[in-house]
Amino acid sequence: MTCSKRDVRGEVISGFAEGIPAGQEDLVDDNTILVQRTLRSGQSIHYDGNVVILGDLNPGSEVVAKGNVIIMGVLRGVVHAGACGDENAVVMAFRLQPTQLRIANHITRPPDDEPEDTGQPEMARIKDGVVTIEAFQTGGERQGKAN
Amino acid sequence: MGEVIVVTSGKGGVGKTTTTANIGAGLASMGCKVALVDADIGLRNLDVVLGLENRIVYDIVDVTSGNCRLRQALIKDKRLEGLHLLPAAQTKDKTAVSPEQMRELCGELKKEFDYIIIDCPAGIEQGFRNAVAGAEKAVVVTTPEVSAVRDADRIIGLLEAAGLYEPKLVINRIRLKMVRQGDMMSIEDIIDILAIDLLGVIPEDELIVITTNRGEAVVLDQNSRSGQAYRNITRRILGEEVPMVNLEEEDGFLKKLRKIIGLK
Ligand SMILES: Nc1ncnc2c1ncn2[C@@H]1O[C@H](COP(=O)(O)OP(=O)(O)OP(=O)(O)O)[C@@H](O)[C@H]1O
Ligand SMILES: [Mg+2]
Repeated sequence: MTCSKRDVRGEVISGFAEGIPAGQEDLVDDNTILVQRTLRSGQSIHYDGNVVILGDLNPGSEVVAKGNVIIMGVLRGVVHAGACGDENAVVMAFRLQPTQLRIANHITRPPDDEPEDTGQPEMARIKDGVVTIEAFQTGGERQGKAN
Repeated sequence: MGEVIVVTSGKGGVGKTTTTANIGAGLASMGCKVALVDADIGLRNLDVVLGLENRIVYDIVDVTSGNCRLRQALIKDKRLEGLHLLPAAQTKDKTAVSPEQMRELCGELKKEFDYIIIDCPAGIEQGFRNAVAGAEKAVVVTTPEVSAVRDADRIIGLLEAAGLYEPKLVINRIRLKMVRQGDMMSIEDIIDILAIDLLGVIPEDELIVITTNRGEAVVLDQNSRSGQAYRNITRRILGEEVPMVNLEEEDGFLKKLRKIIGLK
């Protein structure tokens, strides 16, 4: 993704040709896109803002966002939040089991031994220069306040 | 008007051709008029699996390019009355047919047959696009392997993009002993990722290899678990509610014994 400000609908979102069936419109506001479906292997969304997915991110799929990424399902694919270098960007998922996780210019992946399923929503963000993953508690610290 | 169903998978060798042949034979044995279309041009297989190789005169490319009439290219099965095969060409490649021609061909076949089952080649390129062009429904075959499931997921996305929503899933070659030991993906693991309806589960069964090599369909074998599994799939396609077989009855020597002596 290039990081210039561009027309939200037109160019920045890729993968629509094969990925998203006509008629399933995604709701778009200023800089958050809501995707009401599961992304399957080979499908990707690139967006100049925040991305919220009402579904899973299957292995082999990819979300690249300039802002935050929220997955209201199981995150098993690859996510890049803060793709233009925003170290305050966060990734949140109902189940966080990514193949690989990138925030700004940090890249992490789960440990090679059996990835544990914590069974709860989690949030990844950069803390003291490293990507940390913590349980997401509603009513806890709000994103953006940390750092 | 008949119904056109494409059998596809993404990954190669997971059982598309086996499944196409058995669903076709199953439907025909239940009285349907069925046409099987081998869309794997260049890697013709379905005729061999059905034991019809020596009867091929014309093939699908002859039909689409106007060398012969559709009727001339259709081969009648040797055992089952209603079963017909439109073989693939072996000496051409996937570009010899266009999606438009496939749509036309399927339209023709629909007038005469109750079910048209298309055996899709592996991959996501033109062969795949041809195979799905004329289809109204899709069956996705996978094995309990991470790579096969990944490819199935990709294919489901591509099917949706082609307007084929809600494909049905066939899980092939499952080995319950391995699943139980945690060495193989379970049915639940697979459904959890693919999130589509299950059409059936076929166990790993050497009888499939044996029947395939003989040019027979295991679905006609009344005593095998894989045959039973394919018969159940056939009935589900016909709209019957068939409960999933309890595959746990796998190593059922005692069960068999009980059946023989009449205890349930
Ligand atoms: N349930 C099963 N148990 C044992 N062997 C099987 C089973 N299903 C398929 N096979 C064997 O696996 C091999 C591949 O099957 P098949 O040709 O149907 O796959 P395919 O998906 O059509 O492959 P291709 O992508 O090359 O077209 C065959 O030799 C077949 O006999
Ligand atoms: Mg095949």
